[in-house]
Amino acid sequence: MSRRPAVLATAAALAGALALAGCSKPAPAKAELSVSGSYMPQPVSADMAAGFLTITNKGGAKDELTSVTSAAAGRVTMHSTVGGAMREESSFPIPAHGRLVFKSGGNHLMFEQLRHRPKQGQTVTLKLTFAASGPLTVRMPVESATYHPSTGH
Amino acid sequence: MRKKTFAAAALLAAATLTLTACGSQDSGSQSPVSMVSQEAGQRGPATVLDQPWDKPGLVLTDTHGKKYDLRKETQGHPTLLYFGYTHCPDICPTTMSNIAVAAQKSLTPAQRDDLRVVFVTTDPGRDTPAALGSWLKGIDPRFIGLTGDFKTVQAAARSVGISVEPTTKDKNGKLVSVHGTQVVAFSPKTDGGYVLIGEEATVDDYIKDLPKLIEGAKP
Repeated sequence: MSRRPAVLATAAALAGALALAGCSKPAPAKAELSVSGSYMPQPVSADMAAGFLTITNKGGAKDELTSVTSAAAGRVTMHSTVGGAMREESSFPIPAHGRLVFKSGGNHLMFEQLRHRPKQGQTVTLKLTFAASGPLTVRMPVESATYHPSTGH
Repeated sequence: MRKKTFAAAALLAAATLTLTACGSQDSGSQSPVSMVSQEAGQRGPATVLDQPWDKPGLVLTDTHGKKYDLRKETQGHPTLLYFGYTHCPDICPTTMSNIAVAAQKSLTPAQRDDLRVVFVTTDPGRDTPAALGSWLKGIDPRFIGLTGDFKTVQAAARSVGISVEPTTKDKNGKLVSVHGTQVVAFSPKTDGGYVLIGEEATVDDYIKDLPKLIEGAKP
């Protein structure tokens, strides 16, 4: 009888310690991904088009964009731009509570072998695949060839 | 016994507090994220050069398969020179389209005929005169496309401060392309390259600057 509260106390302390461990190491947290600001500037031909979007992670765990596919294109690849060098990448990290931004002049998606030349006003559907989270489907609007998100035209 | 229970409660409370602190730290870490997409500089994308560049003495092949002498053909004309390639998804088509749309909106037909927009390919292996021609036709049929020996193109680009490299594959078979993205504007008065325009220039920037560049004036 007299031992039971002590056991309880120990259990409570243990629970506290576990919670603390969970705090410093966000292993139980999950990435919570959403996509915004996606667009494709109307390309010059069906050979090649660019795509831009932002992936926001509200979760406490990082994730990784591992591939992009689209029924509209034979191939979609991911590229970074650093100091004038454009490099094809096999994945992009998405930090916990952070963003992965694809924007003109920086990271970009490259669509090749498009079935048709996408025209302004149309939509291109793509699937984003991640290392941890489930895939996301994006309906990317085709904007004018000179569209700039800062001006919205 | 009572004391022990208290101790346990205190511990739990401490753990809860720590968790709360952890939570607020997380929300705090969101603020730097919003700084990622800052615009570069407020002075505009056009830079007037103290020392104008000489127009490169380029003789290449145009989209009709004919010899094109850059200095001869563009002498006395306002000229915009750009080095790029058609298998470029982002900056090359955007820059050319921005110039095409801005010229349409800000220049008279006579001024548009006077303006020479010259796109020199850095990927002559794929950009044949025909390929270059059909690509430029999709942007503005007035634009001139030039192709030829890569080393010649690279030397010309270098002479106006723009570095271009052949597209290569890294050890994982991934493509790496290096090319400067500035447009060089040459004055119709001096034929000197006196303004550099950065890739961040929007249609609106070109609408503002083209009427001045046409006159050889400072943007």
